[in-house]
Amino acid sequence: MIIDGHVRIGQGREVELTADTLLDTMDRLGIDRALVAPDEAAIAYHNRRGNDAVTAAAASSGGRLLAYAVANPWRGRDALDELDRAADRGAVALAVDPVLQGFDLLDGLLVPLLEFAAARHWPVYVRTGTPPTALPMPLALLAGQHPEVRFVMGRSGATDFWIDAGPALRQAPNLVGDTCYAPWDTVLAALAADPEIGANRLMFSTDAPYTVSATELERVTDWPLTQAERLAVLGGTVAALLGLQI
Amino acid sequence: MIDFHTHTPAWRSASWLAGAAFDADEFISFMDDSGVDRAVVLSHDGLFDPSSQANDELAAFVARHPQRMIGFGSVSPRRPDAVVETERMMSVLGLRGIKLHPWLQGFSLHEAALDPICETVQAAGGIVVSHDGTPPYSTPAQIAALARRHPELPVVLGHGGLHDCWREALAAVAQTPNLYLCICGTPPYAARYILEHAPQHRVLFGTDAGLSDKPSQDYAAARVREIAGWGITADQRQAMLVDNPQRLLGGR
Ligand SMILES: [Zn+2]
Repeated sequence: MIIDGHVRIGQGREVELTADTLLDTMDRLGIDRALVAPDEAAIAYHNRRGNDAVTAAAASSGGRLLAYAVANPWRGRDALDELDRAADRGAVALAVDPVLQGFDLLDGLLVPLLEFAAARHWPVYVRTGTPPTALPMPLALLAGQHPEVRFVMGRSGATDFWIDAGPALRQAPNLVGDTCYAPWDTVLAALAADPEIGANRLMFSTDAPYTVSATELERVTDWPLTQAERLAVLGGTVAALLGLQI
Repeated sequence: MIDFHTHTPAWRSASWLAGAAFDADEFISFMDDSGVDRAVVLSHDGLFDPSSQANDELAAFVARHPQRMIGFGSVSPRRPDAVVETERMMSVLGLRGIKLHPWLQGFSLHEAALDPICETVQAAGGIVVSHDGTPPYSTPAQIAALARRHPELPVVLGHGGLHDCWREALAAVAQTPNLYLCICGTPPYAARYILEHAPQHRVLFGTDAGLSDKPSQDYAAARVREIAGWGITADQRQAMLVDNPQRLLGGR
C-alpha cells in the first residue's frame, strides 16, 4: 500500500492540479491513496471553498483520496466552526501553512485548532521551510507543547534546514518528517538510520503539484531499505498517524 | 550539457553533507552516465574552511580531466591574504571563478572586503557563484547588490532562490544584467516558472553533485532525469543546459 501523505489540489499561484489528474498520476505510479489539501488561496483565505473541494474530491474517489481540512487561525471561533464543517464532510487531518496563513507557530493562534485536532485524533501537517517561515525547530517546540497531537514536518526543512530535521525529530517524538525533495543519499538515510528516529518516523509525500511526482516516488523506491522500512515510509507511517488499517 | 553546480569530495572538513569519497575518474563516470559533458566543480572543504590547501586540492582534482571539469575555489573574505589567494587561484591554479557561501562562511554580501576579491576575479575573466536561497545572509537580492557593485562581473545565484526565495531570485535577475540564475535544488514548479519568465540567456542548471553517500551521486543523476518531467520547451532546455553555460564560460 503506497500512500502519498501530502498533495494540494486546485489552482495555486504557479501550479494547478485537479483531482482527476491526481488520480491518473496515482494510477500510473501505483499510488493507492493520497491525502489532499486545498490550493494556496483556500489555505490562506477561502477556507470554505477549499474544504468543500477536497472533501468532495475525497467523497467521490472511492476511498482513494483523504481530505486535509484548512482554516486560517486568525479567524478564531470561525476557524473552529469551519473545521467542524469540514469534519462533518469527512476531513481526516488538519493542514497548516504559517507562511500562507500569516502567523507564528508559537504565537498561540494555532492552539484552539490543535485542541480541535487532538479531540478528533487528527494529525496536523505543518509546511516548513526557510526563515522567517516555520523552521523545523520551532515546530518541535510546538509539538513539545502539545504532546497529544501528532505533527507532520512538511518538506522536512528543505533545503538548508534539513540539518534541523534530525534534531527536531529527536526532540519531539510526536513529530514525523516527510520525504519530498529530500535525497535519500544525503538526508533521508541518516534519519532512517538514527536510532532515535528511524524509518517509521518518515512519511512519503510527493508534494504535488510543486514537484515531479514520478521523481519523488522513484527517490524512495531507489533508496536501499529493508522491506519493513520501505513499507513504513511508503504508507505505514501515515496510516499509523490516521489510524488506518492497511 | 554543462552542470554548473557540482562539488569535489569533502576530504577534510565537512561534518555535514560530507558524502562518499570518490576520485576524479569516478566523477567522470557519473557525468558520463548522466550525459554531462562539462561540470563546474566547486570547493567542498573550502565551503567549511576556505584555505589555500582546499584550493590546491580542488585544482589537483579538476586537473585530472581539464577538458571536462572547471574548478571554482573559495576564500575567507576577511582574511588579510584573501586577495592574494584569489589571485593565486585564478592564475597559478588555473581556477575559473570563486564560490561564496555567505551563511556557511559567515559574512554578508554587503561587506567591503568582498570588493577587491570580486575585482580580482573579474580582472582574471572569472565568475562568482554564490549560494543563495537562505536567509539571513544568502538571499538573492543581497547577492544581486554585490553584482550591481561589479556590473562587469558575472555573478551566479547558485540555487535559483531554492524553495522560498525563488521569486526574489527571478526579480533580481530581471533587474541585474550581470546576474545569472542556476536552477539547482530549486523545486520543479519554480524551475518551470523561472524558465518561462527569466531572461532566457541567463538561466543555468546544476545538480549539486558531490554530496551523495554514493560515488555514483544518485540524487544528482535523478535531478538530471527529473528535467524531463518539468514541462519545459526544447528551446528552454537547450538554453539552460547547453547554450547559456557555454556562452558564460566562453574562453574561461
Ligand atoms: Zn552546492
